[in-house]
Amino acid sequence: MIASESFIGFILEHLQQFFGYTAFANVTAGHLIMILVGLLFIYLAITKEYEPLLLVPIGFGIIVGNIPFYPGLKIGIYESGSVLNYLYFGVIQGVYPPLIFLGIGAMTDFSALLSNPRLILIGAAAQLGIFGAYMAALGLGFSPSEAGAIGIIGGADGPTAIFLSSKLAPDLMGAIAISAYSYMALVPVIQPPIMRLLTTPRERVIRMKPPRVVSKTEKIMFPILGMLLTTFIVPSGLPLLGMLFFGNLLKESGVTKRLADTAKGPLIDIVTILIGLTVGASTQATNFLNPKSIGIFALGAFSFMIATAGGVLFVKFINLFLKPENKINPLIGNAGVSAVPDSARVSQVIGLEYDKTNHLLMHAMGPNVAGVIGSAVAAGILLSFLA
Amino acid sequence: MSKQKLFILALIIFPLLGYSQKNKSLLINEILILNDSNYIDDFGERNGWIEIFNASYAPVDIGGMYLTNDLQNPRKYKIPKGDPRTIIPPRSYIVFYANNKPTHGILHLNFELKNSKLVALFESNGKKLVDKMMIPADAKPDISYGRLEDGGTELGFLKKTTPKATNITEEKETSAEKFGKLDPFGIAMAIIAMSVVFSSLALLSLIFRNINKVYNLNIKAIFKRRREEEPQAEAQEEGIPGEVAAAIALALHMYQQQIHDNETTVLTIQRVSRLYSPWSSKIYGLRQTPR
Repeated sequence: MIASESFIGFILEHLQQFFGYTAFANVTAGHLIMILVGLLFIYLAITKEYEPLLLVPIGFGIIVGNIPFYPGLKIGIYESGSVLNYLYFGVIQGVYPPLIFLGIGAMTDFSALLSNPRLILIGAAAQLGIFGAYMAALGLGFSPSEAGAIGIIGGADGPTAIFLSSKLAPDLMGAIAISAYSYMALVPVIQPPIMRLLTTPRERVIRMKPPRVVSKTEKIMFPILGMLLTTFIVPSGLPLLGMLFFGNLLKESGVTKRLADTAKGPLIDIVTILIGLTVGASTQATNFLNPKSIGIFALGAFSFMIATAGGVLFVKFINLFLKPENKINPLIGNAGVSAVPDSARVSQVIGLEYDKTNHLLMHAMGPNVAGVIGSAVAAGILLSFLA
Repeated sequence: MSKQKLFILALIIFPLLGYSQKNKSLLINEILILNDSNYIDDFGERNGWIEIFNASYAPVDIGGMYLTNDLQNPRKYKIPKGDPRTIIPPRSYIVFYANNKPTHGILHLNFELKNSKLVALFESNGKKLVDKMMIPADAKPDISYGRLEDGGTELGFLKKTTPKATNITEEKETSAEKFGKLDPFGIAMAIIAMSVVFSSLALLSLIFRNINKVYNLNIKAIFKRRREEEPQAEAQEEGIPGEVAAAIALALHMYQQQIHDNETTVLTIQRVSRLYSPWSSKIYGLRQTPR
């Protein structure tokens, strides 16, 4: 009798211990909220097709990161020695973003930009969002380093945001990355009202000159000269700019097809999976759900709006000095942010709403790819001033 | 100069550049002349000491170099080669004890700083001076003298002795904190950064607006065209009417267009090959047929 009692007691004790290890025993309201956020991301990615390549890994990563567990078992992303922690290393140390830039370089065709180099400047103007958000973040009481990391959301470039925040404000990286990717996915929702607000009906139907044919030599020279020029001015942007232009040279040289294919195919896919999952998993409710994260989300939306307005208004400004036949349609101003190619697609869609035969996509791709360079340069500047 | 000669020259120059770069990074960083109650050596004794700083971002081996307190005798103390302790890690330090007891180990020198006027570090050839530091006459016990910032040029008595550590002992403001103080609203940052972004992209734009003009510049063709234009001008002077010239130009244009239409019918077919991998080969998964 005593033996059976002690045996049952032993089983109950261990069942109780097992229950203590389960997620049910450790769950909090925060975990459940974050799991719902993760599910929302997956829903938006699958049903609405909002940036599915990013939102599916991030959404699932959020769920992975918010499964409650008993601490100390080397499971969580912030627990030293856990598998997720090893994978997260590439984010903390800024390894993944330059690799993604390599792939972006290998898949980007800069001919739209080269055919009308004037459009590069729109990519610069849209970086106003970064510094607008920087000023707003300072106003809200964030430190200059944190404000710089938050401001970069306005560049609409996920890898750049992760790279910079890992250097300037590692604590806020999860919130910044999620904010940047969320708003990138919401570009078709955020940008059109601002574009309509800031343009007149006459401006929306401006027809631009068709882009000229760009020679192979120009395409090959662009990554080399672009790299030299931008990194000589902002060497701190070297990891991103160097990899971007290197990837582009692999593509344009015509003799490294295999390398270019790897960079824009398997390599970027692998890194996207790792960065998406780990960034998502870094949003553990215990670290993520705080007033700062809400502030970051608000500032992220603000920076996207400023960036869009900056690009559109800049086009309107330079149109004042251009001959009628050379005028630029301000609807491509929004494409100065580096959300490639979503913001260029928005220009095309809005342009077609007002003139069914006015295709702006190719024109918008110029500022769009210039935005990638512009945001990397801006990140380099912030890094050199604030690191 | 032939390519071979250039290659040989490069082979000679590059190692020399690396050599001089290596030694430029070594600096006498801090010295303690009188040690009454300060840093204790590995024999439990208090001596004067010399700290050398490797300012580079690569390890530097100072084995084979010389330390001296007399410029007339640069080879006074040869730092032995082959000891791992003589390899200074990047941005790090090594301390030598100036106690005139070289038998205590490789870090113990054969001179003292008390009656010295200077301390100097020479390269392994014993001729080229790497760095030197004058010893102040008014040295006080337990107060070290050296560079106010590691590797800096400004010298003075330090507030704290810091053997094998940075000479900067006061908490310094980070550049972000400085920015926060001087530019609390971020206006200066926005102006500076936007100017840099604009100027770099404007430069890029400018270059690529004009670059096709540069590489399309075919000097030979220009000269050829000029030579061809000269007789044409003469012909015009002889009285070829403009209508005839226009007709010729049109005929030539149409001829060129026709040439364009007759493009070659060579088809380019991209060869698709399945890459072989033993991991996916069934042959390797099967046993060989016994013979």
